[in-house]
Amino acid sequence: MTGKSLSGATTVAVAGILVAFLVAAGCVGGQPSDSSVSQQITVTGSTTVLPIAEKAREAFEDEYPSAGIMVSGGGSSVGIKAVGEGTADIGMTSRDLKPEEVAGYPGIVRHHVADDAILLIVHPENTVDRLTLDGARGIYNGTYTNWNQVGGSDRQIVVVGRDSASGTREFFSEYVLEKEDFTKTQEEFNSNGGIQQKVSRTPGAIGYVGLGYTEGVKALSLDIDGTAVEPTLENITGKNYPISRPLFMLTNGEPDGLARQYLDFIMSTEGQQIVASVDYIPVQG
Amino acid sequence: MKKEQAAPVPFQSFGRLRRPGIGLISAGAKRQLVDRIVGKLLLFVALFAIVTVFFIIVFLLRDGYQIVLETGIWNFLVGQDWNPAGRDPAYGAFPLIVGTVLVTALAMAIAVPLSIGTAVFTAEIAGPRTRSVVKPAVELLAGIPSVVYGFFGLILLADWIRIAFDQPSGSSWLAGSILLAVMAIPTITSVAEDAVSSVPREFREGSLALGATHWQTIKNVVVPRALSGIGAAIILGMGRAIGETMAVLMVTGNAAVIPDPITDIFSPVRTLTGTLGIEMGEVAFGSTHYHALFGVAVILLVITLAVNGAARVIVNRMQATARPKPHRALTAAASRITHAASAPFGRLAHPRTSQRCAFLLISLSAAIVLAALGVILFEIVVNGAGAITWEFLTGSPRDLGRAGGIFPAIAGTFWLVTGALAVALPLGIATAVYLIEYTADTPLTRGIRAAVDLLNGTPSIVFGLFGFAFLVLFLNFGVSLIAGQITLGLMILPTIIRTTEESLRSIPGSLREGSYALGATKWQTIRRVVLPPALPGILTGAILSIGRAAGETAPIMFTAAVFSSRYLPSSLAEPVMALPYHLFVLTTSIPGASTQSYGTAFVLLLLVLAIYLAAILVRRRYNREKVM
Repeated sequence: MTGKSLSGATTVAVAGILVAFLVAAGCVGGQPSDSSVSQQITVTGSTTVLPIAEKAREAFEDEYPSAGIMVSGGGSSVGIKAVGEGTADIGMTSRDLKPEEVAGYPGIVRHHVADDAILLIVHPENTVDRLTLDGARGIYNGTYTNWNQVGGSDRQIVVVGRDSASGTREFFSEYVLEKEDFTKTQEEFNSNGGIQQKVSRTPGAIGYVGLGYTEGVKALSLDIDGTAVEPTLENITGKNYPISRPLFMLTNGEPDGLARQYLDFIMSTEGQQIVASVDYIPVQG
Repeated sequence: MKKEQAAPVPFQSFGRLRRPGIGLISAGAKRQLVDRIVGKLLLFVALFAIVTVFFIIVFLLRDGYQIVLETGIWNFLVGQDWNPAGRDPAYGAFPLIVGTVLVTALAMAIAVPLSIGTAVFTAEIAGPRTRSVVKPAVELLAGIPSVVYGFFGLILLADWIRIAFDQPSGSSWLAGSILLAVMAIPTITSVAEDAVSSVPREFREGSLALGATHWQTIKNVVVPRALSGIGAAIILGMGRAIGETMAVLMVTGNAAVIPDPITDIFSPVRTLTGTLGIEMGEVAFGSTHYHALFGVAVILLVITLAVNGAARVIVNRMQATARPKPHRALTAAASRITHAASAPFGRLAHPRTSQRCAFLLISLSAAIVLAALGVILFEIVVNGAGAITWEFLTGSPRDLGRAGGIFPAIAGTFWLVTGALAVALPLGIATAVYLIEYTADTPLTRGIRAAVDLLNGTPSIVFGLFGFAFLVLFLNFGVSLIAGQITLGLMILPTIIRTTEESLRSIPGSLREGSYALGATKWQTIRRVVLPPALPGILTGAILSIGRAAGETAPIMFTAAVFSSRYLPSSLAEPVMALPYHLFVLTTSIPGASTQSYGTAFVLLLLVLAIYLAAILVRRRYNREKVM
């Protein structure tokens, strides 16, 4: 009896492997690219753009109950590659396409859906309220290592930034650092949330994040020609606060079917209100 | 199923084996044939590990070799600067290699004594009631997802280090090592505990009968006999530590610098896995940076192989000196003990005193491990329990996961783990049976073992990359449940193979010999005599694997997971939501969802706890029958 039960287990095991292979084979065969007419689309890519896609999905699905939209993250590169390879219908990216990617996927169409402001944040106890762009550059390239060099108290600066593949960092590097190298001791995190957590718990830290990540930290004003420009929504939309960058959704070729309806929805007044509700800057309306 | 059928006492099985032996000759020939077919089948399955490693290496090298062409191998390996985004991009991996070595070394220095102490405490010192608390508690520690450890480390640990040691920043080498130690402890403890428990009782009784104290028995008889298992435990734990990505990248600061001076444990460091973890998601495919990251993955594999190889050599040497033959170890211990007893003034401390000190230290290490678990659990329960409502458990997420529930994620994780076990358990057990029962030490088995070691050390993020490159893109599965199940299955395969091997090895050879002497074939012996008593050990492996598979983010985030989906998956080809991935996105990308993320962590823990409880009950049932 024992033998029977164990050989039964073996049979199940062998059958399991066979089934796995069969299913695998079935998937290989059955992956048609007819997703444009189906009532399900997948959206993948940058975690920065993800909140927009997700919030828009909720509202969109309320209007079109038969639609199924699946949203996932993974990063801008995953979004670009997935839409280029056809494994997703819509890609999301927080950076522009690199020359290699344009060459590899010539059919990709960009849709500028929102802008993202980048704030400099410090610990709430920090006495510094504003920085000039030169001051920020000096901190990030390693010229200034103590807060008393930029008008604060005597405390070592802990420089916190994004990873070297991040679109946010790339933009920050171009706009603030003018492509100079970051200081080697910069601590790196791969998400806005990570930087916010770090800065909110480290009195000497400075970091840069998107607009929504200000809980427990203090956002610095930018000192532009002697006037402090606070990073408020009005200042950012009115282009008084200068550090912001575009966010894109991507399709392979011009979108049609459900993907088109979904993108149109995001660009509509209602969609752009959703963009503002998740702390990004609307590009229309 | 009746009890005695599920786990036969050896003598009963012998009785059952004899009966078919008297049958017709053709029946015997048929059994021989079955025996040979099963042997071949097992060999075929055992080769699977090698094939997998081969594919992983091929896919890593395919994208990684170009960095060597572009920068030169020397510049890549010993270059001092890792600055891919600079005006003049530099791809020097040396600081990353140093970072990985330093963080892992210190983590093991913390974890190994604590784990072995806890294992000895559980197996030798604790009473049955204490044991029934400590053992599951340690296994539970393995079930806490990396992302939770990471945020725990970022919020509490790094902060504690910053204040306690008056440093400007707490993100440091030390923080990474402490966190990795806590994560490696359950693996090392569980496997080492099994090894210590499997030392036959006669050894202890013999030693005690010779007048040795309990501690002398442990030190001179039990631990040397269990050394092979303890060695395997350390290797498994080290594999976990080297390969950990999500947690370590949140606490080490990730500055690509070599500590100056090299002993500065408060310096930020960056590991190879951390580099992959933070840069892989956003890097442009096909760029130099992309190739450099695959190069980093290759370096990681090579280091893992070297470490495992070295550990294996050390363990073998220790076995050769410390355990020539069990009875000789016993006599050697006996002579040492009698010698000590006859020369009471020649010793530094009375055996009783040294026993008391040793037991104190051992109990202390168990207490430290339990305290670590307590702190983490407390944090999760206090912050997460408030989020648990009926809607949270049964609804779909709304408002970016800030409201609504996580039911699709619970279901998704359940399917992912079940699928991973369905892939890994048959493969893993068959491979282990082949390695232990069917072959001696041949180049082939050494190759298979090396492949398993390599798989064990392969970071989860590399499995994720491999799954993405091979399953999702090359085989065109798309981002799907099945791709995630296979990826996770491959990830837990080495744990299952190693623990099964260890538990098969602990079955005394005399049982097999007795079975053969009664005319049983090899396969009959394995099936009826060897496997049943090895089952508790195999279950331990499965339990550890479930915890790992349920909590991992890196392997599924490119292969199977979506952040949101209204529907449950209706086929294996659809993507799913998963708890650890949901948690990862909530904690990193959704501001103002901390209650929900703690709630998700809490549910994930409860889920793992439920699976554990079931498995522990099964194991206890088997254990009880074995005694009877």
